[in-house]
Amino acid sequence: MACDELPDDLKILWKEAGTDRPMFSPEQLRQEAEKMRAKRRKSDVIMVAAMALLVAGYGIIFFFIPNNALTLAGSILSVLVCGAWLIDILMKRARVAPDPGETDSVRFYRAELERARNNHRALVWRLALLAPPFILWDIGFARIFAKAAWFIEPFMWFDCVFLLAVFAVVGPLNQLKWTRKYQDRIAALDGAIRSEGR
Amino acid sequence: MDRTESQDEFYRKVAEEYGASLARMAYAYEADPDLRRDLSQEIHLALWRSFEKFNGRCSLRTWVYRVAHNVATSHVVRQTRGKRSGPAFLTLEEAGVQASGENVEISADRHQALAHLFALIQRLDPLDRQVILAYLEDLDAESIAEITGLSVANVWTKIHRIKDVLVRQFHRGGRDGL
Repeated sequence: MACDELPDDLKILWKEAGTDRPMFSPEQLRQEAEKMRAKRRKSDVIMVAAMALLVAGYGIIFFFIPNNALTLAGSILSVLVCGAWLIDILMKRARVAPDPGETDSVRFYRAELERARNNHRALVWRLALLAPPFILWDIGFARIFAKAAWFIEPFMWFDCVFLLAVFAVVGPLNQLKWTRKYQDRIAALDGAIRSEGR
Repeated sequence: MDRTESQDEFYRKVAEEYGASLARMAYAYEADPDLRRDLSQEIHLALWRSFEKFNGRCSLRTWVYRVAHNVATSHVVRQTRGKRSGPAFLTLEEAGVQASGENVEISADRHQALAHLFALIQRLDPLDRQVILAYLEDLDAESIAEITGLSVANVWTKIHRIKDVLVRQFHRGGRDGL
């Protein structure tokens, strides 16, 4: 009997919380929504500006520093890869997220887990694709300037190893680990729903 | 009444009627006070925005809880991203088993009991969290099913397990209890 009554006691206790509720007026919320839109626009502008800077940087290298086939290939591929990143990010942003009012919680939770998994999965290829162009450019640069100073060649080789380790191995492996974690949670959620005969 | 006006009116009504419940919900989803304040604002903002689309196909209460839970779930998933330990939620069964060691008396120190209850809920998987919160807010199984998308039978099973977990975690203490 006491066990049956206990949850009711807890419900009474529960209702005692939440007295310090934050209050927002529609005007405040409207301002907040506008602030968020402005923040988003700003981050889009920053992304595009970063891309423009990258193109300008490679442009300067192209016109003012001696080039060979490797540095040229590296520069062009870097710009293309960063362009692909940018398009991918903008397209992802444009995708319509499930509506929190129209979507039931199970489907919404699953969609959120999928979104997190896909973000990590996308980072795997984004990071992996960055390494080859940078490495090509490093090798080309080392070949051109190897005789200019003794440290240039070893530094460029060190940079290649570093880029390979970070962009092609450690970064993608870490993202894959997260992809797997979210996939496991999706599988667990599906399993729990199936086993309870949703 | 134009659209913006009715949206504002709906929001005011909901903030008045469900404000305390939404505050409890934010508390149950986020332990950090600063992040909780952000989450509360996010929930209120999502609700206000959602009334632009509210078409009355479900009850206002269902709509409010669904929006709030979904926004809070998003917050939880976002917060677990990039954390070294990763998302480690307990199922209701695990929460019940872990609870057997510590059993808090409700009537002795209500503040402690409430803190214990929040700590328990904050460790649950978002879906179980939604069911336990709706249960504590006195929603019936049909309403919980409508909010979550689970079957009514499934909700009943979960409520049964929730009661079991609560009984293991808490005791009344003294004859009078509450």
